[in-house]
Amino acid sequence: MIQQLIVNGIIAGSIYVLIAIGFTVIYRTVKFFHFAHGVVYAVGAYLVYTFFVLLGLNSVFSFLLSSGLTALLGVGIDRFVYRPLRNRKASTLIFLIASFGVFIFLQNLLQLIFGAQILTLRTGPVVEGHHFWGAVITNIQILIIIASFILFILCWLFIQKTKFGKAIRAVSDDPLGARVVGINSERIIRGVFAIGSALAGAAGILISLETNIEPTMGMNAILKGIVASIIGGIGSIPGALLGGLFLGLAENLGIWKIQAGWKDTIAFAILIIFLLFRPSGIMGVKTEKEQI
Amino acid sequence: MEYLIHILIIACIYIILTISLNLIVGYTGLAALGHIAFTCVGAYTSALLALNFGVSPWIGLLIGAVLASILGIIIGFPSLRLKGDYLALATFGLGIIVYSVAKNWVSLTRGPMGLPGIPGFSIFGWEISNVWGYLLLVLVFVFITYLVIRNIVHSPFGRVLKGIREDALATMAMGKDITRYKLIVFIVGAFFAGIAGSLYAHYITFIDPSSFTVMESITVLLMVVFGGMASLKGSFIGASVLVIFPEILRFLGMPSSVAAPLRQMIYGLLLIILMIFRPQGLMGRYRFK
Repeated sequence: MIQQLIVNGIIAGSIYVLIAIGFTVIYRTVKFFHFAHGVVYAVGAYLVYTFFVLLGLNSVFSFLLSSGLTALLGVGIDRFVYRPLRNRKASTLIFLIASFGVFIFLQNLLQLIFGAQILTLRTGPVVEGHHFWGAVITNIQILIIIASFILFILCWLFIQKTKFGKAIRAVSDDPLGARVVGINSERIIRGVFAIGSALAGAAGILISLETNIEPTMGMNAILKGIVASIIGGIGSIPGALLGGLFLGLAENLGIWKIQAGWKDTIAFAILIIFLLFRPSGIMGVKTEKEQI
Repeated sequence: MEYLIHILIIACIYIILTISLNLIVGYTGLAALGHIAFTCVGAYTSALLALNFGVSPWIGLLIGAVLASILGIIIGFPSLRLKGDYLALATFGLGIIVYSVAKNWVSLTRGPMGLPGIPGFSIFGWEISNVWGYLLLVLVFVFITYLVIRNIVHSPFGRVLKGIREDALATMAMGKDITRYKLIVFIVGAFFAGIAGSLYAHYITFIDPSSFTVMESITVLLMVVFGGMASLKGSFIGASVLVIFPEILRFLGMPSSVAAPLRQMIYGLLLIILMIFRPQGLMGRYRFK
């Protein structure tokens, strides 16, 4: 029982990690909560449904195309919603509320196009998983864990080792200084939205292999992504990994003794405890101290 | 005609919610995103008291509002330490917790099955049974809410609230205990939101958790922002327009599977457009800092 809960926690955590990395990379650069990140994840799942099930395209090609299109969606949201706000020097709260607007708009667009019912990518029968250390795990679940870990490594190397990644860090740490040395911050922000949204799309694609999809799936995802980022220390990529896994495990071990419906309550109780007592999270990236 | 009155009653309930949230968000500048949680507590308290103990809806309404106020203290507590986005997030999280308790505490709330057959209000033994009676009832409560909140914001107390909004540090330096003020604002806001919930429960006679999702909190916030931050007239306009306008979609003959998402899409788009072009709202005097 406990082994199965740990495995479930790691699987759920892997998805949270992917969402949290995208969210935290974007947050670190633009310094506001990109809530619509969750709906980008849902769009990723619906795109792969469209290409793979409705149009019958090749699976790998569908995945890549969907991920690419979600990157484009992220850049589009930035271009048409956030850039006008940046030009007006809006406060972060205004960005957050506009982001809610984007979220509501796109989620209901999905519902209008695909209907409110749940859809599934599964075509064949349910395959029994591998028995491993007293727990059951399916091939798809192993794929989710491995894919999530590889994407984490790639993203981390990209930010730490490449020139573009260096520019992202420069804009995140000191936008004015970055401008002085000739970095085009708009270009960097576009890049960050593309990477972050592609990761959200990838998470949506992976989860659609495992469970059913529905238009409202983005809400839960972004909330868990935000909770994971804050637990790990918002802005930190290793923190997103820690926070995502911690949240996945805490939720699943929490329901060891109580009913499964209380998962969300556990997650948000953790969020509020962290917000009140340790807003900088486990990794403790220095955030602006919020007081008064 | 009955349907039109029904829409007006719903609009009035939203006006109570919008005015009470405007006190917290518009006048005091605290970004609270969990307003519907108070409504949820008010609705469930009063409905459960009436169903299980036969308590009169009037007393239920009062107890519901008091319990909502107590929740207001709990939700208001983060506002003493957090501000801006982080406060928004914490109140949002608390809103989700309340929703999830309503959904999962099945032995008390019957969870997603909801509570049917909630008795209506009665005055001196006369049960209010038609929509006109309810319209009158909610109008009375709208009037009371408006009067109380108008008096608060135009009093010296209200000036302190604006002080907290504009410059909390300076207000503290003036010797004002801003912790107390913030908590009172949450208590008052929650009290009226609780009343709105109780009115809703006894009018519709059925409640379930799906009426109290966080999306509803965002809708009420949209009404505040659309009408105008820190403007009571604005709140009347914001709530009325946003409740009545989507009904036009239904009159155009759209099936509800199209009308419902379309209405939400309009809300979403409206939020984006407002934030870009007029973040203080139609009649507002203050924008988020």
